[in-house]
This record gives sequence, structure tokens and C-alpha cells, in this order.
Amino acid sequence: MVVTKNLEDKLLNVKVEGRLDTATAPELEAELAEVLDKADELVFDLEGLEYMSSAGLRILLATQKKMGLKGGMKVTNVNDVIMEIFEITGFSDILTIE
Amino acid sequence: MPKKTIKEMSASERRRHSLEAKTFHAVLMVSLLLGIVSLIMGLGLYAYSLGNQLIKDSFNLTASLKMVLDGSIDISGPCRRTVDIYHSLSEEEKAVQDEAYYERYSEIAQDPTVISAGRVLKDFYDNNNVGDIFIAMYDEETCTLLYIADPDEKRPYPTGTWEEVEERELRRFLSWDGKGTLYDLSYTAKYGWLCTTGVPIYSHDGNICAFVLADVSLTELFNGMRGFVTNYVIATAITVLLLGYLMKRHIKKNMVVPINEIAGAAEEYVRSKRDSGATTTNHFEGLKIDTGDEIENLYLTLSGMENDLNNYERDLTKAIKDKERIGTELNLAMRIQRDMLPTIFPPFPERPDFDIYATMIPAKEVGGDFYDYFLIDDDHLCLVMADVSGKGVPAALFMMASKILIKTTSMSISDPAKILERVNNQICNHNSQEMFVTVWLGIVELSTGKLTAANAGHEYPMIKKASGQYELIKDKHGFVMGGMENMKYTSYEIQLEPGSEVFVYTDGVTESTSEREELFGTGRLLEALNSKAFDTPKEVLDNVIRSANSFVGKAPQFDDITMLCFSFKGPNAWLEVEKAKTEAQREDKYMKELTLEATITNIPKVTDFVNEELETLGCPLKVQMQIDVAIDELFGNIAQYAYDPLTGPATVRVEVEDDPMAVIITFIDHGKPYDPLESEDPDTSLGAEERNIGGLGVFLVKKTMDDVTYEYKNGQNILRIRKNM
Repeated sequence: MVVTKNLEDKLLNVKVEGRLDTATAPELEAELAEVLDKADELVFDLEGLEYMSSAGLRILLATQKKMGLKGGMKVTNVNDVIMEIFEITGFSDILTIE
Repeated sequence: MPKKTIKEMSASERRRHSLEAKTFHAVLMVSLLLGIVSLIMGLGLYAYSLGNQLIKDSFNLTASLKMVLDGSIDISGPCRRTVDIYHSLSEEEKAVQDEAYYERYSEIAQDPTVISAGRVLKDFYDNNNVGDIFIAMYDEETCTLLYIADPDEKRPYPTGTWEEVEERELRRFLSWDGKGTLYDLSYTAKYGWLCTTGVPIYSHDGNICAFVLADVSLTELFNGMRGFVTNYVIATAITVLLLGYLMKRHIKKNMVVPINEIAGAAEEYVRSKRDSGATTTNHFEGLKIDTGDEIENLYLTLSGMENDLNNYERDLTKAIKDKERIGTELNLAMRIQRDMLPTIFPPFPERPDFDIYATMIPAKEVGGDFYDYFLIDDDHLCLVMADVSGKGVPAALFMMASKILIKTTSMSISDPAKILERVNNQICNHNSQEMFVTVWLGIVELSTGKLTAANAGHEYPMIKKASGQYELIKDKHGFVMGGMENMKYTSYEIQLEPGSEVFVYTDGVTESTSEREELFGTGRLLEALNSKAFDTPKEVLDNVIRSANSFVGKAPQFDDITMLCFSFKGPNAWLEVEKAKTEAQREDKYMKELTLEATITNIPKVTDFVNEELETLGCPLKVQMQIDVAIDELFGNIAQYAYDPLTGPATVRVEVEDDPMAVIITFIDHGKPYDPLESEDPDTSLGAEERNIGGLGVFLVKKTMDDVTYEYKNGQNILRIRKNM
């Protein structure tokens, strides 16, 4: 998993590539923890993400809860597999997916 | 030579010594004695009375003769003249009584008074049974008897015949006072015993001039006596023999035979007892003895005794049997008690994740120490170490009851403190003997190494942690069990790591006493435990025993020495086992297996392994992604929770089905039993604020896979997912 962060004027762009799973989720969590307080708005770019397991969902949910109080959170470039996961878990209703 | 008993004698000897013979002899002896005495007395009496009669008759004859003479014939003249002539003769003239001598008395002999007196005498002689009857005079001077008239024709004593007489006779006759019977007994060679009776004839001047004398021979009397004796002896002998014979028969019938019967019965009794060990006999009872005396009494007594002995023996046999039975049963009970302790090591050879060794060295007397270990389920091992108060059978019984109660209760209650509380109450309910038991009880969750334990007044456990050293764990002691109802106990938890060991023991170990009366103590025990690293629990215990023995020396062992060592290897110990199994199954065509330590870092290895298989099947990428997610969820769960805080192995198996084409992936682990399908699905309709993050993974798997099943089997969680292609 590769995480690329870009914070521009309170807008945080986070690009996640590879696999977001049990093993890698803590890494993303740590990365986010560093910058999340500084951002009001967050955009996840999942274009390069192959799949996501519930560990990733946990992070998305936790982040959504935090960002929902601020400027909000968007998830972009979701592939089929991940979209199906969002749909199955009801995350498609919670997240703002573009 | 020792005296023979009647039993050792021959038949003839026995006859001689028998009661019959003795009776017979006794009768003979007594009869003989009596016979002799009575014979002597009879003879005496006979002789006395008959003799007396003879003498009296003879005397009366002389008296009546004298009276006849006194009335008719005066013979005093011729008498005096005869005496005178006799006196006038010289010694020489008297010496020879020849015709010349008699010539001198012829004139007197021819005297008519003499002749007529002779005639009277003759008359008397003829008519009476006397030896001789004559008239004669004793001459004091010459001590002779001078015959005056003697009519005996066969043996004539002419007038003037003299013969010497005993002076005693002479004096008696001459000095007779006229009272009683005048007689004299004398023995003559010629006539034998003679009795001479006589009556004096007085002359006119009142002097004795002669005697009428009669001789009576006693020989006849004695002859009569001889006959009497002969008859008497014959009669007596016959009587005695008859009497003896009858007595003998009587004795034989009434004594000898019954006594022999009794003796025979006694012999039979002894023989039957000795040879066949008969318990019920009726040797005496069978006899028919009806003598009505002491022998019958003896028979009745013996018969009663036999009966009593039979009863006694029956009772005794029963008592002995009872005792034997009780002894056997007691031994059996002891063995059952001993067998209650598991003694097969290793007790769970199929389990690589732990090892146990325990031992009890019993003291002389049976004690109540016990240990126990058993799997409550595949994931929970219960360890028990206990010590019942007291010794002997009561302690053994109490131990059995306690052990069973603890085990059965442990099967249904998982908290050690609660187990002890329940068992304590159950013991208290039925503890009339006020016995108690100290117990340490621990339950190890084998998949995680979590030891939960509680202590009811027992010795502190020794636990070896990761540091590699045994430590005394001063756990919270509850009250001994059986002491008081409704006691509360406290469970405590200790996390065991792979390599941890638990050593529990009874006070028999720490209170082993040396010859110098020193206690082995926990200090020395700890020293022994930490003296080096041991490979197996058995080595640990052996070393403790060695140390204790060398410390105790020759002092006797007072108490049971009971110890248990549990060695925890950790769930990862399964890894090699499972890997070996996987290796064995690698040949299988459509089944691929991978066994590895379940860690998060190992997830990619699993994913790669499965993907490789999926690729050969031409699995669509989307399906592969879904499966990868499922692997992440499921294997991740095992890695994070199954062995927490330890790690253990997991096996992932990939199988392919043809119709319809499907992939089946199985996740197997030795972790604590956990069915992920049991938890409720998360409510996916809730908003972000209300959503919980738990349960999503499994939910995802359920939704993306075509079938998910779970089972717990052989200590393993088996989760199977199926994805149709």
C-alpha cells in the first residue's frame, strides 16, 4: 500500500494505492493521524486501490465521523470491487462517493 | 521308658489294661480278701461253738455219770487204795507197767464197786460218742494220771495204769472250784487234739478221791472244719468268678463300650476337622448312650460341646470370612482410590501444546493427597492439587468424593472460584466428620495461555514465567473446603507464555523433614526448581524428589509427597504438527494447504498462496479480489484474536469443485472456540455516527461469498467459505 498525502489550504488529498487490509490499515491510520487535525476537508483518491477489507472500512468510518464535524469527506475513483464492498456494508449511504 | 498310652498298646495289652480287666481284678481281690476274712471268722466261730458244744456235752456226760455213780456206787475206797498202792511203789516198780505191776492192783480191779462202776462207764461209753470215759486220779507228786477204771475194750487201761500229764491240766482239775465246765485241751502224739472233761468224786471226808473223766477227740471237729473250708473256698471261688464276670460284663456294657464310643467319636471328630475341615459334625450326637449316669452326662456334655463348637466354628468362619472380605475390599478400595489418580504419562500425547507430569509418593498410611488434570474441552485444561485432612480410609473416601465433585463441577462451571464455591457447599452439606480439603484449582485456556486459578487454603503455586525462573505466587487464599458453608473464593489470572511452567504440590513436599528435624521448605523447593532448565515436567519432578530425598536422608516419610508440573508450550506448538499434516496432503490433486503462524504479517503469504490457485483456475479478477478481502478478514481475525495475546498456527486449505465450479477455502486454527457467524449482522442502514465498526469484516465475507460455514471440531475452529466461479 502506498499513501500519498497532499494538504492544500485545509483540503487534504489522500491517494491510497495497493491493498488496504488488516496489515496495512494501521499504516494509513498513522498517516492520517498526522495530518487530519490540520484539514477541514478530505478527499480520498482510491483509483489505485485494488481492494479494501473491513480494516479499511474502519478507518474510513472513523475518519468520516471526524470529518463530518468539519468540512466533510469525499471518496473518489472507487472501483467495482470496492464499490460493491461499500454497497454491501451500507457505506455507500454514509460516504460521499464521487 | 516312657509310659505307653492306651492308644499305643496292642489289643492284648489293651485288654489287660482295660476297665473290664481292672474291674475283674478288683472284684477278685476284694472277694478274696473278704473270703479270707470271712473264712477265718467262720472257722473260728465254727470251731469255737462246736468245740464248746463238744466240751459241754462231754462235761455233762461226766457230770451225769458221776451222779449215777454217787447214787449207786461208792468207789472212793478203791480209789484211795489205788493211790496208796501207787504211792507205795518205788520208782523202779512203777517204771514198767507190766503184768507184775498190774498184779499189785488186781485186788482193786476185782473189787465189785470197781467192776460195777466199770459197767456203768461201759454203758455210758457205748451210748455216747466219746473217745473214752474212765475214772482216774491225778497224782500231784509225780504229775501223773492214775487210772482206776476204764471200760474201753479196744484200748484197756487196767487199774493202776499211769501216764504223765501236763502239770497245767493237773492243777486245773485238782483246784477246780466247781463252777463252769472243767476241761483241758491237750495235744497228744497218739490221739491228736484231745479234750479232757471231768467231774471230781469226793470221798466221805470231802476230799477228791478221783475224777470221772471223758476224752473227746477234736480231730473229727477239725476234719469237719476241713470239709467246711473246702466247700467254702469252692463256693466262694465260684461266686467270686461269677460276680467278677457279671461285674465285668456290666462294666463293659455300661462303661467301657460307651467310653470307647465317646473316644471313637472324639477321634472321628478330630479326624473330620483335620482332614476335611468339616464345619458341621454330629459325631457325638449320633451316639446312643443311655446309661443314666456320669457317662451319659459326659456324652451329653460332649454332644452339647460339639454342637456349640459347630456353632462357634460357623460363627468364627463367618467372622473370618467377613474379616477377609473386609480386608480384600479395603485393599480394593485403596487401589480404587489410587487408581483415581491419573498415572499415564504423557496424558495427552496428541497435544503438542502442553505437557504434564504428576506423582504421588505415598507415605506408609494412606493419605488424602490427590492431583488431577483433565481437559474440560479441547481448549481448557483443568489442573487440581489437593490435600485432604487426616489419613486412612476416611481421608481416602473424602478424597474420592472431593475429586469427583471438583471434576464434575469443573465441567459445567468455567470460573475456578465459582467451582470451589459450589464444591465447598456440596462438601459442607455432607460433612458430618468435619473433614476438610485444601485445593488449588487452575484452568488454562490452552489457545491463549490464560491461567485462571483459585486457591482454597492450599500451598502457593510455583510458576515459571518468561523470565525462566520459578516464582512463588502468593495468591489469595480462600478458606479450606468443607470448613464453612457459603465461603467466597477469588479467581486470579496469570498469562502464561510458551515455556511457562506451573508447579503445584502438597505440604508433604515442603514439610519433608530431615534427620535434623529441619523442613525442606519452599526456599529449598524453589532452589531445586530453579537449579537448571529442565526439558520436561518429569525431569522437574524427578529433580525435586532427588533434592528432597537427599535433604531428608534416612528420616522416615510422614506424609504423601504429591506434585504436579504443567508445562505450557503455547498454541504455536501445533504449527509443526499441522505443517506435517499439510505436507502429507500436498499430493492431493484438488486440495492445497498452507500452514503457517497466524500473524498479520503472514496475510500476504496466504493471499498469494490462494491467488496462485485461483489464477490456475482462471478466476475473474473481481472474484479474486473478493476472496482476497475474505482472506484478509478471516485470517486477520485469527491472527489478532484466536490466540491473543499469543500466536498460533492456522491452516488454509483451497479446494476446487467441478459441478458447479466453485472454490472452497477452509481456515483452521487451534485458537479459542469462536463462531464468527453467531454475531449479529451490523445494521447497514445506520448513519455514520451510529455505526459501530465491529462485525463488518465477517458481514462482508458473508455477503460476498456464496456459502460460509463454521464448526468447532477436535479443538479446532474450522471456517469454510465457498465461492462459485
